[in-house]
Amino acid sequence: MNNIANIISISIGAVFINNFILSKFLGLCPFFGVSKKLSSATGMGMAVVFVMAIASSFTWVINRFILIPYDVAYLQTIIFILVIAALVQLVEMALQKYSPSLYEALGIYLPLITTNCAVLGVALINTGVNTFTGEPYTFFESLLNGVMSGVGFMLALLLMAGLREKLEFSNIPKGLEGLPIAFITAGLMALSFLGFAGLNFFSPVGG
Amino acid sequence: MLKEELKRGIITENPLLILVLGLCPSLATSTSVQNGFGMGMAVTFVLACSNVIISIVRKGIPGKVRIPCFIVVIATFVTMVQLLMKSYLPALDKQLGIFVPLIVVNCIILGRAEAYASKNNPLKSLIDGIVMGLGFTASLCILSIIREILGSNKLLGLNFFPGYDPMTVFILAPGGFFTIAAVMALVRYLGNRRKDTKA
Amino acid sequence: MEILIPLIIVGSIGAFLGLGLGIASKKLFVHVDPRIPMILDVLPNANCGACGYAGCSGFAKAVAEGKAAPNGCIPGGAKCAHAIADLLGVTASAEEPQMAVVHCKGGRKEAAERAIYNGIQDCNAATIIGNGSKICQNGCLGLGTCVRSCPFDAIFINDNGIAEVDPEKCTGCGKCVKSCPRKIISLIPKVHKIFLACSNRDRGAKVKKYCSVGCTACTLCVKATPSGAITMDNNLPVLDYSKEENFITAAYKCPSKCYTDLVKKRSKANIDTNCDGCGLCITVCPVPGAITGEKGKRHVVDKEKCIGCGNCLHICPTHAITLWGTGLQPKQARMA
Repeated sequence: MNNIANIISISIGAVFINNFILSKFLGLCPFFGVSKKLSSATGMGMAVVFVMAIASSFTWVINRFILIPYDVAYLQTIIFILVIAALVQLVEMALQKYSPSLYEALGIYLPLITTNCAVLGVALINTGVNTFTGEPYTFFESLLNGVMSGVGFMLALLLMAGLREKLEFSNIPKGLEGLPIAFITAGLMALSFLGFAGLNFFSPVGG
Repeated sequence: MLKEELKRGIITENPLLILVLGLCPSLATSTSVQNGFGMGMAVTFVLACSNVIISIVRKGIPGKVRIPCFIVVIATFVTMVQLLMKSYLPALDKQLGIFVPLIVVNCIILGRAEAYASKNNPLKSLIDGIVMGLGFTASLCILSIIREILGSNKLLGLNFFPGYDPMTVFILAPGGFFTIAAVMALVRYLGNRRKDTKA
Repeated sequence: MEILIPLIIVGSIGAFLGLGLGIASKKLFVHVDPRIPMILDVLPNANCGACGYAGCSGFAKAVAEGKAAPNGCIPGGAKCAHAIADLLGVTASAEEPQMAVVHCKGGRKEAAERAIYNGIQDCNAATIIGNGSKICQNGCLGLGTCVRSCPFDAIFINDNGIAEVDPEKCTGCGKCVKSCPRKIISLIPKVHKIFLACSNRDRGAKVKKYCSVGCTACTLCVKATPSGAITMDNNLPVLDYSKEENFITAAYKCPSKCYTDLVKKRSKANIDTNCDGCGLCITVCPVPGAITGEKGKRHVVDKEKCIGCGNCLHICPTHAITLWGTGLQPKQARMA
């Protein structure tokens, strides 16, 4: 029972309460760059979920079995970003060879994701402590966290793209056109997501 | 020459408000002027140092692997900043949290490395790094001042308006978005006015 | 020792990743036809889709594979077609350049509205709400859906509230044609400068009540064009641009001024000394009083009244008439 509670708590937390874009401010650059059309937003979202999943797993393994035992946790920044950059490059090459249609659809976003705060962010979060169990994240928990954070990112991206497509037809004052109105929209969305802050399905272990 | 560079970094090519780079850390760390200034200085340090190193080795890096090389250089300096902060400024480090290591993926640093440092000599790159960092710090401070006064009725830890109940939303996520929207719109408006009077 | 461990760790992980990527780039090597980037260079790269492929890269790939003809890029035109043909080592013929025209000129001044529309500024949206605010069920709504669809910035809403195409910028890609919900934009050959600026299917006096430049299906234009290039279809004239006809007479004869002539100043007819005064030119001239003269004496063209239709050029037995300033022969003058 505790396991399921843990899973639900991580998932809901990552998607709604601690949404990467709307609460944690991670992944903003592509958020405002790619959210103009719903189709490109979907492509970007799926690419991010995929990259976050594999990045979480690989970085967790390296952290647990190499960095911590040898007491060089300060190397996290360098090693993680190298691993992420290499992984994204590998994924891009594999896509180009085995699924050209998917590559055409997602290909241009993959280099953008390398320098995305969100991917490095989730890798660093997974080195910390799971607030629900009070223990450091296990492999499965960090993988789940990675996937769900990506889903939260995609959710915010899709919502934003839908709204921006409608904003195209409205009369906006000249100074606010483009980015400022997008920021205000994001702010209103963040305000509504703030409502999730008190969401608490299960009380954490230990009170 | 230095004055022109300063003007370029802070006003005409301000990395946050004009080029719109480095959004993530800006909105997250501009909750108070201390945090904003600290973050800005950290970014300036990393930007200046990495610009110099990259400019020195720019001839020796093959084209295909230049991005990973830049990232390694930048990550080294970010780790340095991380360790220095943990020892000498632990309170600031706690406030900035995850955003100190995230300086490595700050679009400004990689962007300047790609656009400037890989094409110019070390001295010019150093100056460019410093002025861009100062511009970033300046815009961060503007955001922080607004958010801190409206959001927690303090400035640099001192109480500001007597008897004013602060709007907490400004130091939370939505406040960041609203503040930067207002500042960006103002900057745009002033820029358009200058263009109109010049033309 | 303390420095050695991190050195080894970073070094070995870096080497491992580098090696892995190196091997992967060999194993996952994808052969890219070297001609494709060269073809992409000569294309206009507007990604308009007129060629029928998904963007310019799709078209470049298809051309390199031999699936698409080199002249498939319409905005690129003849220059692009020949450049691609040179790259591939084949010969190419360029398609006739076309341009888009909007078949409506009933704007704020001419057409009456039955309601004020305050909704989303999009023609599709307005059409869903009771088929738009104009009384004319076929006319241009002027809300700019076509403007947004043009990748070359060639179509705009003019001061009268009607969509208008800039002939200089239009490349004939056809995106606006597909975007118009009323289907009143079409492509005509660029060499023809006259088109019917109306899409109204009503007939008779009631059209005049809601649009002063609307077509009433009076068929005067059909009768004025002996070549038969204009036919009536459901109360609207249809122009056949494949026939050798310049439509100038039809445009002049229309009582509602429904035709639009993109040429602002046409060359006028001029009768030289070869004229024997037979008077045949007056019989075919659509404008009364444009050609005057006594029998047997050299006739004179009134340059103000002449519309430059060229009818008189062909009928003159002594070849005394030319279109002033163009040097065009009578046969070519038919299509001026």
